[in-house]
Amino acid sequence: MRLSLLLPCIMLFCQPAFAKDTSGTALPGASVETDPKYPPVVSYTLKNGLKLLILEKKFVPTVSFAMTVRVGNVDCRSGKTGLAHVFEHMAFKGTQVMNTSDYQKEKVVLVRIEETAKKMIAEESLGAMADPQKVKQLKKELSDLEKAADAYAVNAEFTSTFEKIGANGLNAYTTVDETVFHLSLPADRLEAWMVMESDRFKNPVLREFYKERSVIMEERLRAEADPGNVLFENLSAAAFMAHPYKNPTLGWMDDLKKLSRTDAEEFYARYYVPNNATLAVVGDVKPAEVIRLAEKYFSDWKSKELPSSAYTVEPEQKAEKRVNIFFNANPSFDMGFHNAGENHPDTPALIMLSEVLSNGKTGRFYHNLVEGKQLALYAGSYHAIASRYPSLFLIAAAPKAPHTSAELEAAIWEELDAVKRTPPTPWEMEKILNNYEADMIRGLEGNMELAKSLSRDDRIMGDWKYNWKLLEQLKKVSPADVSKAAEKYLKRANYTIVAITQPLPADTAAEGAKKK
Amino acid sequence: MKNYLVKAILTGLIMNITNFAGAAHPELAKLGQIKFSVPEVPPRVLANGLTVYILKDNTLPVVHLSAFIKTGSAYDPADKIGLAQMTGALLRDGGSAKYRAEDIDKTLEYLGASLETAAYTEETHADLTVLKKDLEKTLDIYADVLRNPAFEEDKVKILRDETLEMIRRRNDKPSSAVVREAKRMFYGVSHPYGRRTETATIGAISRADLAAFHAANFKPNNIILAVSGAFVSEDEMFARINEKFGDWKGGEVARPVIPAPAHTAGRQLYLTDKDVSQTSIAIIQEGVNRVSPENDALSLLADIMGGGFQSRLFSEVRTKRGLAYTAQTFSAGLRERGFIDTYCGTKAETYSQALAEIVHQMELVGSEAVSQDELERSKGSIINPFVFKFSTPHKLATERALEEFYGYKKGYLNNYVADISKIDAAQVLEVGRKYFNPSNAVIFVIGNYKKFDKPLTDFGPVTEIKED
Repeated sequence: MRLSLLLPCIMLFCQPAFAKDTSGTALPGASVETDPKYPPVVSYTLKNGLKLLILEKKFVPTVSFAMTVRVGNVDCRSGKTGLAHVFEHMAFKGTQVMNTSDYQKEKVVLVRIEETAKKMIAEESLGAMADPQKVKQLKKELSDLEKAADAYAVNAEFTSTFEKIGANGLNAYTTVDETVFHLSLPADRLEAWMVMESDRFKNPVLREFYKERSVIMEERLRAEADPGNVLFENLSAAAFMAHPYKNPTLGWMDDLKKLSRTDAEEFYARYYVPNNATLAVVGDVKPAEVIRLAEKYFSDWKSKELPSSAYTVEPEQKAEKRVNIFFNANPSFDMGFHNAGENHPDTPALIMLSEVLSNGKTGRFYHNLVEGKQLALYAGSYHAIASRYPSLFLIAAAPKAPHTSAELEAAIWEELDAVKRTPPTPWEMEKILNNYEADMIRGLEGNMELAKSLSRDDRIMGDWKYNWKLLEQLKKVSPADVSKAAEKYLKRANYTIVAITQPLPADTAAEGAKKK
Repeated sequence: MKNYLVKAILTGLIMNITNFAGAAHPELAKLGQIKFSVPEVPPRVLANGLTVYILKDNTLPVVHLSAFIKTGSAYDPADKIGLAQMTGALLRDGGSAKYRAEDIDKTLEYLGASLETAAYTEETHADLTVLKKDLEKTLDIYADVLRNPAFEEDKVKILRDETLEMIRRRNDKPSSAVVREAKRMFYGVSHPYGRRTETATIGAISRADLAAFHAANFKPNNIILAVSGAFVSEDEMFARINEKFGDWKGGEVARPVIPAPAHTAGRQLYLTDKDVSQTSIAIIQEGVNRVSPENDALSLLADIMGGGFQSRLFSEVRTKRGLAYTAQTFSAGLRERGFIDTYCGTKAETYSQALAEIVHQMELVGSEAVSQDELERSKGSIINPFVFKFSTPHKLATERALEEFYGYKKGYLNNYVADISKIDAAQVLEVGRKYFNPSNAVIFVIGNYKKFDKPLTDFGPVTEIKED
């Protein structure tokens, strides 16, 4: 598997690194990267803790913005799974001045909607004991109130204003670890972005909440029809017993049915604070101007102490876990092994291990399983499915008929055992480092991708230079270290496999029962 | 840094753009429409007809080459569907006269270079990205795989088996399957835009067929090349291209005629019953080809119908009713014909509400003019982000190459913004009347009909099709 998820670079822009921005303006309070190993990123932190990373980059007059907030599904407590993703959707619903024709009047209706919705959720939560008449009545009331609120709503004003002024790639995404909001604009729209986004982060109004919740339930149904997603959700749920990485980012359907707007507002108040966010701005902009405007529009965003994120530590796995998912699709499977977390000293060796297995057509999986034995349609690996806490080393594969998942699983284990016995060759190690360096250079081409990785690496990995520094660590990994890491982590007692199997006829005996 | 490029581009404020009057943030009112001129990249032509668009940019030590070849799956013989697709993939994977496949893999991967080749309906692409220091070595491989692919027998087998496996898996994801099947019913099962690869047609493809297809379609006069990145000069790069490709012989390439769609009139519904968590709906209607004078107006209307956050489908089906996560429309123009594709995924229990709303919106745009506000929003959302098509040197070189490749009239890119700006509501209504007619569409539904809130027959005659 290519390292395309890991970015950046070593040798850079032809212009000398500047101690000032290119117009010669001094940048008080900012630090400018001058080491030629890195791009000349300007770092600046507002008094409220909002971190800015600015990289001036010219080709055509465009600018890309990425705001990473350190909050993801891992921060959603039991019963409220999916809330981080729900809030991400709600962050497009406007503010006290956006998407509304009269907020003061609208607000009155929104309060009544919330009262009614809470009663409805309470009744529905009784399950079989719920009074169907009462539920029906409350649903009707809610629907009527929503119609009344619609009279004040200006549909999609926030997003369509961005679209009208030239937004490109306007979107957001949520993972277990983070929520990222991003878009690009023509460069002269810098201030427009500041106006719109500061208002969004400071004053969101979560209007149309219950309709958007239905949209998200549809998003969940869509994912339930996708074999790749079904595997991944089952892998997380099976491999983790205690740590919140076990929960799907889309949330459990039952939790979604019980989420209220109040939940989302509380979640916003807890996590959407400037000291929990990093904004990267990359493109044809002057750093001094970005700083001036950020001070003007974002400095009154209130900072706040963040809640503890010391979640239940996953106990050591002491079992092999096998899950057969009966799902109407062709066979494929995910294998997971607990890793020790991104900060652990074993991580560079695990990254090299993953690349030895699945980097390109000369990687061992492709070379031996897709070509050599011709068992696999595909087989890939990645050293970690998440970043903030210890997660899983992932292998994803599918057999090619008439071969079965069992045959392919056995062949993958042979490859894993082979790496344990014999360290990779110097050629394999050099190839991986060359690929990493080339990917880092190519990662500097697109403004949006660069903005996303700078802001994410700063806020989630703790340093925007994370990938440059990681390269230095990868260079220090020896072939023997790779074998040791395979031995330590890729073992049966640390192993979970989830496999898609065609549904069985209803009367088929279970595996254990058959043997009796 | 390319100063001339930056100078060639004027970012300026034009006075009275869109209707920001009454906008929530008065600061935005002063923003104008972006004024942007696409920089020129003059084409150069080798004696054998190979056209090259070259743009030097030394910002990063990288070189990109993209070849666009006018051939694709629409050119497959009827009994060997999949031939173009296999040829396209095997350029990269099947070795060449000078280099064994295994050596190509090792050389490229050791250098961290990427070479990707693939065929689509009417075009085949070959993209190379390489660090400047490795250009000489990889350029020779690139030229040889394009000119003299070897189609090594063991690589043909691996790809054939993989393609057969993908046929077995083609219905695993209903949201993709439904669009393919809707197009297949609209155009016809043997039409070049509608047909699928099948086990028999893949099985019929031999190594000799691949070589013959390559010989017939891969000719320098049938290829346009976009090149950008760090080299000494554009002249020097052109000389290197000439060295690698100059003695390749040109010749005629026959183009298949694309027949009319099988579906002619009336609404026809198709249902595949499947126990899935969400119902997938695809609607296909006749559109226009990409060089048609109606193409811009139809693209605008498709955007108003189901493009952005404020489009009719997004706001009516998703935002206001919460019936779907995805509800969208786009207009796809190909070489000779085009189609309008509408997709929606929604739960079985409310599917009829979503479908009825989509049909209703199609009827509306086919009979009533869109509002001035919708028209201006949509124009802005096409015109203002136009600059992003050119946001890296290689995107710029590629867009200029494609302008010629697709056969657009001279000045297409230079006049694009002005041409879009000129479109009025009457023109949009005219294409709406002509093309958005849900009583003359193919509607394909995959879902669990036992859970449907209303029978599909409420929407018209239904043919049930078993998944295969």
